[in-house]
Amino acid sequence: MDAPISNIALAHFLLTGAVLFCLGIVGFLTRRNLIIMFLCTEMMFQGVVISLVAFSRFHLNVTGQTFVIFVLTIAAAEAALALGLVVLLFRHKRTLDAHAWTALRG
Amino acid sequence: MNYALYIASALGAVALLMMMPRHRPTPRALGGLLGAMVLGGLWLFLARFLPDDWGLPGQGGAVMAYYYIFSAIAIIAAVRVITHTRPVYAALWFVMVVLATSGLFLLLWAQFMALAMVIIYGGAILVTYVFVIMLATQSGYAAGPALSTTAGATDDSADYDRVAWEPVAAIATGFVLLAVLLTVAFPLPGRPGLEPNAEAAMVSDTDLRANVLTNRPSDRLALQVEDGAGLAAIEAAEGRGEQVSNIERVGLDLFESHPLGLELAGVILLVSLVGAVVISRQRVDDGEAREAGDAAEGRG
Amino acid sequence: MSIDLVQYIPWLPAGGAVLCGLCCLKPALRKLAAVICIGSIFAAFVLSVMAYMAMQAGGAAGAVTQDAAGLATSDAAAHGTGHIVTLWTWMSVGSLDVGMSYLVDPLTIVMLFVVTGVGTLVAIYAAGYMSGDRGYARFFAYVCIFIFAMTTLVLADNLVLLYLGWEGVGLCSYLLIGYYYQKPSAVAAAKKAFIVNRIGDLGFALGIFLTLTHWGTLSLADVVGQVRDVAATGAAPTALDIWIPFLLMLGAFGKSAQIPLYVWLPDAMEGPTPVSALIHAATMVTAGVYMIARLLPIFDYAQYALPVVAIVGTLTAIFAATIALCQYDIKRIYAYSTISQLGYMFLGVGVVSAASGVFHLFTHAFFKALLFLTAGSVMHALAGQLDLRKMSGLWRKMPVTAGLMLIGCLALAGFPFTAGFYSKDVILGAAMAKGMGEHGSWLYFALAVLGLITAFLTAFYTFRLWFRVFMGPLAYEMGDEHHGQDDAHPPVTPPSQTTVHTTGPTPPHTPLNTPPTHHQHTVTHTLAHSQPEPPSESPPAEAGTPHAITVEHHHEPHEMSFLMNAPLVILALGAILLGVWEHYGPHFIEHMVETSTATPLVEAHDAHPMVAGLALHTFMMILSGAISLAGIGLAAYFHWFNRPAADRVARSFPGLVRTLANKYYIDEFNDAVIVRPLRMLGSVFFIIDRMVIDGLVTLVGAAPRALGMSFGRSQQGVLQGYGLGMAAGATVVALLVAWATW
Repeated sequence: MDAPISNIALAHFLLTGAVLFCLGIVGFLTRRNLIIMFLCTEMMFQGVVISLVAFSRFHLNVTGQTFVIFVLTIAAAEAALALGLVVLLFRHKRTLDAHAWTALRG
Repeated sequence: MNYALYIASALGAVALLMMMPRHRPTPRALGGLLGAMVLGGLWLFLARFLPDDWGLPGQGGAVMAYYYIFSAIAIIAAVRVITHTRPVYAALWFVMVVLATSGLFLLLWAQFMALAMVIIYGGAILVTYVFVIMLATQSGYAAGPALSTTAGATDDSADYDRVAWEPVAAIATGFVLLAVLLTVAFPLPGRPGLEPNAEAAMVSDTDLRANVLTNRPSDRLALQVEDGAGLAAIEAAEGRGEQVSNIERVGLDLFESHPLGLELAGVILLVSLVGAVVISRQRVDDGEAREAGDAAEGRG
Repeated sequence: MSIDLVQYIPWLPAGGAVLCGLCCLKPALRKLAAVICIGSIFAAFVLSVMAYMAMQAGGAAGAVTQDAAGLATSDAAAHGTGHIVTLWTWMSVGSLDVGMSYLVDPLTIVMLFVVTGVGTLVAIYAAGYMSGDRGYARFFAYVCIFIFAMTTLVLADNLVLLYLGWEGVGLCSYLLIGYYYQKPSAVAAAKKAFIVNRIGDLGFALGIFLTLTHWGTLSLADVVGQVRDVAATGAAPTALDIWIPFLLMLGAFGKSAQIPLYVWLPDAMEGPTPVSALIHAATMVTAGVYMIARLLPIFDYAQYALPVVAIVGTLTAIFAATIALCQYDIKRIYAYSTISQLGYMFLGVGVVSAASGVFHLFTHAFFKALLFLTAGSVMHALAGQLDLRKMSGLWRKMPVTAGLMLIGCLALAGFPFTAGFYSKDVILGAAMAKGMGEHGSWLYFALAVLGLITAFLTAFYTFRLWFRVFMGPLAYEMGDEHHGQDDAHPPVTPPSQTTVHTTGPTPPHTPLNTPPTHHQHTVTHTLAHSQPEPPSESPPAEAGTPHAITVEHHHEPHEMSFLMNAPLVILALGAILLGVWEHYGPHFIEHMVETSTATPLVEAHDAHPMVAGLALHTFMMILSGAISLAGIGLAAYFHWFNRPAADRVARSFPGLVRTLANKYYIDEFNDAVIVRPLRMLGSVFFIIDRMVIDGLVTLVGAAPRALGMSFGRSQQGVLQGYGLGMAAGATVVALLVAWATW
């Protein structure tokens, strides 16, 4: 219980987190379905959460895990609001295409 | 070592690009093969740097093997989330990501987090997503006719789900960022690696039990099962009762060190609840909404 | 009955002002404003009387005296009757400690009598005069504020509070001059008064600052006491001792309209006539005299200050009197007369005889208020007509007003045994005494002679006015204003009623200076007894004697109501009797002033020189009486019996008359030397502001706009475009951080 993992082992977990995070970014940027875009942000959360827990194990300090709880809170709130907005937008245009909304075109 | 990371990032980007849905047919299987090779090669390369006990003192190689398995599942599932053309399947693949992540958490002694992930993400949030996907696509695929000329002619999903937007730029950005993160994460040969912060390390179990958890239920539990003396004896012998569990530590940290954060989280949840109710009840008053409403009334 | 009652005096009108302000809100309450105003001022007057009686009862025994230490140093019995009432501490910073506190001594009481007494009478008159005016309640609110500020000024225990009152009366003056704010000339006059006063007040403020740094206190009694102490040691005044009175003097010159800052007062007559009477004749303009009298020891100690005051006063007196000779506007004549009389007061104070200056202030308040108010009556009767050339022989129409104005004119002219006669004589006697005694100097002799000449001019121009207006054949031309400028009821006479009678030798619509709009509904009479005479009575006025008289059918000159005449009668009684009472009675004012801070440093013990076997004062009395009679007689000849002769005389000195009629071209001179260069400088700055500053600002504003226009094209409005930008930015930042860290 008292022994921390080595920093190379830590780096392996960080690698997994970073890959998930970056795949989330790529998904967010390439997918045009509003729901999938939000799903991809959740995936970015997953990457961050893995890093937090890995650091928690590395430093033998549970605060990292506590923060995961907060991240979960934000994710839940975001999901509630974002999905509500998606439903609203869908009601307007009958499509989930993000490119259907271009009111900011300069 | 850095070059290996850079090469792996670049090859990974190419692999992902091959897997992204496009107008024209893409070498999806080839991309998947390349991606698997890149990931496996990188791990093989990095395994050289691991110490004899695999960097996990007292746990051994079995744990590391589980790491490779869970990580591979998570990454493959994540790739499927962003490449799958049907939203429902993407959501289901995301459940797989969550499950694999939970497995990684178990390896990291975060049992509570692992279960919370499965329950909250896999159980609550993802179900909501799937529900909304079903709601939004209930009448078949609402948006436009399928592009019969493309490779996915048999695929009946919507056009915007079948064609990625600007995949090259997005993948370039994402994998440059990945390369940077990996460079930072892995200690260079010449650079002193990250050391655990001893000051931040948690208090030992005995201290915790003596000073904070003075009235710990597990002790009383041990006394209560005294007539089943065998169980108590086994527990005492194994020192299980002595250990402070993960959930106890997380709860202690949450309520002792972050009470304000906890309150704020509660407020945020409440506000988002109210906000979600308001948003889904109200029609945003813009011209289109009125037109749509008028049209509906006219039809009615 | 305590002397502490004075603390309520300023606050009664202040409360009245608030109530009058509330009356502005409801038209139905307008009439109430006059009652509130008169009541509050009269209550203040009653309190003043009570305070005086309390002072008489307890003051002789040296009652009071929280500050006796400051005053008592030289002569406690003579000077120690000041009483300080502190309401609260206004500000306390370091060694500076300014209290909202009142100094009550005999000089204060005298001033309170003038302010509240004359104020009450004028307010009663105004209640009738202003009736029908839309701003009725506003007017009385201003008057109440003015009384508040003026009583604060005279009650102030320290220079800062005095300055507060000083600026307060200046503000009220501004507000009341600009009372008819639709009239551009009134607005201009108000601005002029305010700005010219600023110049003087700058000096006053600097004087206050220097007083604080030099004497370490701003309390009037303390400063005067310290000056007395220093003077008693025989030390020569330092540079600061000399600078302070000169700076304070500048403030007095501005407020009391002395050369060179007198230019605002004639224009101030744009305000309603009761305002001219109360503020610009009786009370506010005498604040400068009061201030110098109050601080007389400071001025006395700096050996050059009082001679300068006397010289400026005398020059102003004769200067303004000469201008008054050739004016045609009744109120302007009185305005110049006020400037001239203020010059007398300065002369009186300047010859170290504060008592004479304050005495003249006191009597002048009565007879000048009377003159202005009767002028207001004439103006009221003639619908705003103020031009001497367009009225004549009005005593037939308004005998009471004629009589009242005659009394005022007699007092102003110094007719024997009127109030003005005595008070003017005290000043001239004091000046002559300084000029002729064994320590006499030619300077004061010259000043006294100039004063006598001014007295002659005063008598002449005063009766020129009176004879022109009330004597001679009845003839008049109505003005274009209606009672109190009642905007609510514009005059509408149907054109069908318009008739034109032409019974005289002159054609109809001969030179009438009425505005064209009035030609349509005026009736031209030529009265039978209007004598046909040459049209021009004096060069600058081509209009001539009013041989053609325009009268509105429904409106003829009439006598004023009882409400308006009653206060005039009281003022007239004061204008006649005050002098006799003072001179043969208790020497009230002299006694009061001598027991205040205005006592000179060195008591004058000059043996009064004898002239022609008479005591100097007696001789001066006879001389000035004779001069006054001569002036009146000359005016009677030229302006009553033989008006053409006046024109002939005027024609023989065209240049002089033109110069005087144009007021020595001082306004034009100021305009050319001060106003125009400043305005040019202003326009230069304006151009710089427009071109350079605004250009820069526009440029700074245009640059981001141009930048935004060019970048606006890159906005596709696609959600993921922004996401891509964000991610790329985050990547670049991460790259930079990583690069910089390793």
